Order: sequence, then structure tokens, then C-alpha cells
Amino acid sequence: MFSDQLVPVAVLVIFSIDAALLTGLVLLKSVHRRRMRSHNVRRQGYLGLLSRHISFDDSVDPITASMAEDPAFLDALIDMRNAITGDEISTLHRIVNHHGVIEKQMRYLDTSLLLSRRLRAAVALAELGDETAAETLMRHLDDREPEIRIQAARGLGRIQWTPAIDQIVSRFSDEIPWVRVRFSDTLIGYGIKATWPLLAYIRINHRFGSKGPALALRTIGQIQDDQAVAPLLEILEETSDLEIQIATVDALAELGSPEASAALHSRLESKHWELRAKSASALGALGDPSAISRLTTAMRDENWWARRSAAAAIARLPGGIASLYRSLDDDDPFAADAAAEALADAGELVSARERAKTIGADNEPLLAHMGSESRS
Amino acid sequence: MTSGPLSLSEGRQFTQLLFCTVSQKKRILVADDSETIRALLQTALESAGYEVDMAKDGLSAYELGSNGDYDLIILDQLMPGLLGLDVITRWHDEGLEAPVLMLTGVDDDRTAVESFDRGAVDYVRKPFRITELMARIRMRL
Repeated sequence: MFSDQLVPVAVLVIFSIDAALLTGLVLLKSVHRRRMRSHNVRRQGYLGLLSRHISFDDSVDPITASMAEDPAFLDALIDMRNAITGDEISTLHRIVNHHGVIEKQMRYLDTSLLLSRRLRAAVALAELGDETAAETLMRHLDDREPEIRIQAARGLGRIQWTPAIDQIVSRFSDEIPWVRVRFSDTLIGYGIKATWPLLAYIRINHRFGSKGPALALRTIGQIQDDQAVAPLLEILEETSDLEIQIATVDALAELGSPEASAALHSRLESKHWELRAKSASALGALGDPSAISRLTTAMRDENWWARRSAAAAIARLPGGIASLYRSLDDDDPFAADAAAEALADAGELVSARERAKTIGADNEPLLAHMGSESRS
Repeated sequence: MTSGPLSLSEGRQFTQLLFCTVSQKKRILVADDSETIRALLQTALESAGYEVDMAKDGLSAYELGSNGDYDLIILDQLMPGLLGLDVITRWHDEGLEAPVLMLTGVDDDRTAVESFDRGAVDYVRKPFRITELMARIRMRL
């Protein structure tokens, strides 16, 4: 009896709580939307104001201290900083310095208890690219928050702060993978200034783990510094780690130096098919037609990916297409298939269809390359 | 400096000058999805005495450009709706005569060459110097 009376009361209480929560959520969302709208309106106004200051040196439109405190003003500053270049950036820097924007953001980054405010400050310092923030950003390369470490590196890269290179590189081994990749992007932005610190890091660390050194090697490949070729070849000789060998071959392929040719030829004999395949691809990237003969042999490799890589590499070399046509008659049917696939990939569909007729219609990998027309 | 009412000849000169300025006010269409770029260009162009219309996507750029009588069109490449290159191609096919200046963050020579092939008269990469862009605009008008 008593419990029967309690049920409707309990339902009413639960319903009331739900309704109150829902109302609260709707209100919060509405307040947030209004704040965002107001933020955007103010930001638009600041964009106009900054535009006048940038377009006319003698602009008298005042930028007040309260404006400079506004987060919408900071957003407008960042947007404008990314839109312009050259001398006009110094006008923006004058405004930033006059209102102590950088100092304020450094203070937030160092002392704020709110993660969102610290993140915002880190992004602002990275985007505004002011040298006065360099020391603060250097400290925050060790920040407990991964995103702040990323922004700190990005900011230091933006101002090309060279003392940061060693510190960023040294973190490669300890960092979580996605931060490491973003650090790599920053180092690529430094260009050839990062080559030697990266090489030194690889030399010291390649015996103690492959993740950091492998990414460092790929970073070197992206930097495209020819001076790295000789040290990379030494690393290739020294290391027995497969991942590092593959990353070195990748880097050599990116650099495209003919000096790497002999080392890559010998890697076609590796006991690891991954390295044989990578070396074949790298020889294609170097563009030296004298590799065709050796790559033609590699088309008879026991591993299908290595065969395919060798054929694709031949297709990239001068005279390679003609050589692939000849390989269609290779005694080894796997080599002939690899040649047909590479020809199909290179747009030589007619010869690939001929090959399909010869070997029958059940060669799925080959047919898949030729599309539905040849299937019918 | 003289103060007081203008003489008849001074008044005529002033009216002629005013009429001349208004009638020669050049019209420019700025098509860019970046609010920052639009604000910057609107401020700079209006202050320099141009009449400016704005479009923030490819489709409205195409419609405004096709219907408006512009002396110059500043066109971004990467916009929602229609790409700048597609817009300029349509105008080119329709025989639109307004000169088009491509202003784009796309940093590859192929896009630049394609823009010229499709009728653009100039190509400026972002980020840009506003003073240099204004000089290029003055040269075209």
C-alpha cells in the first residue's frame, strides 16, 4: 500500500530532475551560442580595425587596453598574422608589443590553472611568432600536456629558434607517437639547420630502439639536404635493425642521390623482403636507367611485393616501359605478371590485356588492375 | 586657404571634380571565404576610393561576377561551392570581360599556369603584402 503510493511520487521526482537537467542544458547551449555570436561580431570589428592599421601607417583608430584584453581581439590578431607577410607584419607586432599581448599569453601559459586558457595561450604564442616568447616556449617543450608541447615546438619553429632544434630532437625517443610526428613537421620547417642534429641523434640512438630514429630518418628525407646522403649510407651499413634500414632507404629515395645506388643494389639481396621491396622502389626514385637490368632480375623475387615493387620501379626509369614489354615474355610467369601489372599501372593497358589473354582470365590481381572493361 | 562661400567658377570646378570622382569610381568584386581577407581588402580598397562587393563562396562569386559590371575581380581559389578555377572557367566561356586577379593560398605553379590559361590577368599568393596587392590593382585599373 505504502509502496504503491511511492511509485507516482518517485516518477514525478525523476521526471522533475530530468526536466530540470534538460532545461539547464538548453539554457547552457543558448548562452554558449550567444557568447559565440557576440565573440564573432567583436572579432569582425577587430579585423576591420586591424585592417585599417595595416593598410595605413597613420591610422588614428584607437586600440584600447580593454580591446587588447578581449579573446576576440587575440583571434583577430592571429587571423591577420596569417593573412599578411613582409613589412606589414611589423605593424602587427607593434600593436602586439604595445599592448603586452605576448607577455600576457606567456603568463597564462606559465601560471593559469585552466587547461583551456593555457592551450589558448600556447596556440597564440605559436601563431604570433614573436621572439620574446622563445624562452617560455622552450620551457614548455617539457610541458605535461602533449598539445602544449606541440604548440611550443611549432612556435619555436615559426621564429626559426635554432637552440630549440636539439631539444626537440632529443625528445624523439621519449615522446608519444603523435607528438613525435608533429615535432617532425616542425623540424622539417627548420630545413637544413635540423639535418646534423637529427643525424647525431640517429647515430647515438639507433642501437637502443627504432621508433625515434626511424622518424628522424624520414624527417631528414623530407628536409631534402644532399649533405645527408653520405652519413645515411654509413648508418645503412652500421645498423642491423630492419625498421631503421627501411627508413634509411626511404630517406635516400627522397633525397634521390645517385651516390646511394650501389648500396641500394646490394639491399636487393637482403634476406628481408621488406627491405628488398623498399630498395627496389628507391632505385626507381633515383631515376638511373642502369638499374633496369638488376631490377629485372628482382622481378623474379620469391616475394610478390618485392616483384611488384621492382616492376613499378622499372616503369619509372627512362627506357623502363620498353624493358617491361620485353619482360612480358619472361620464362618466369611471376616476373611476366609483375611486368604486366606495372604496364597496366603505367597506362599501357593494351599490353596488359594481351597478357591476361595469355595467362587466362583467373589472374585476379592483374584483372583488378585493368578494370571492368577487360573483365568483360 | 580661402574660407567663405565659393565663387561661381570655383563651385563649377568643385562640382566637376565631384562628378568626375563619383563617375570614375571603379567597382571591384572580392571573392574569398576568409573573413580576414575580406575585411582587410574591403578596408584597403574602400579607403583607396573603390566600390567593393564581397562574396564568400564560389557560387555567389560566380553570380555576382556574371551580373555585376566590375572593373576588377579578386578571386580566391579554394572556396566552398565552386573553386576559383571553375568560376573563372565559366566566366571565360561566357565571355566575361572583367580582369580577374587570383589571390590564393595554393602554392603550386600548375594552378598559377591554369589560372592564366583560363583568363586570369594576375596571380598573387597568400600570405601577401597589402601594399603590393594594391599596386597590382592600381596597375590594372
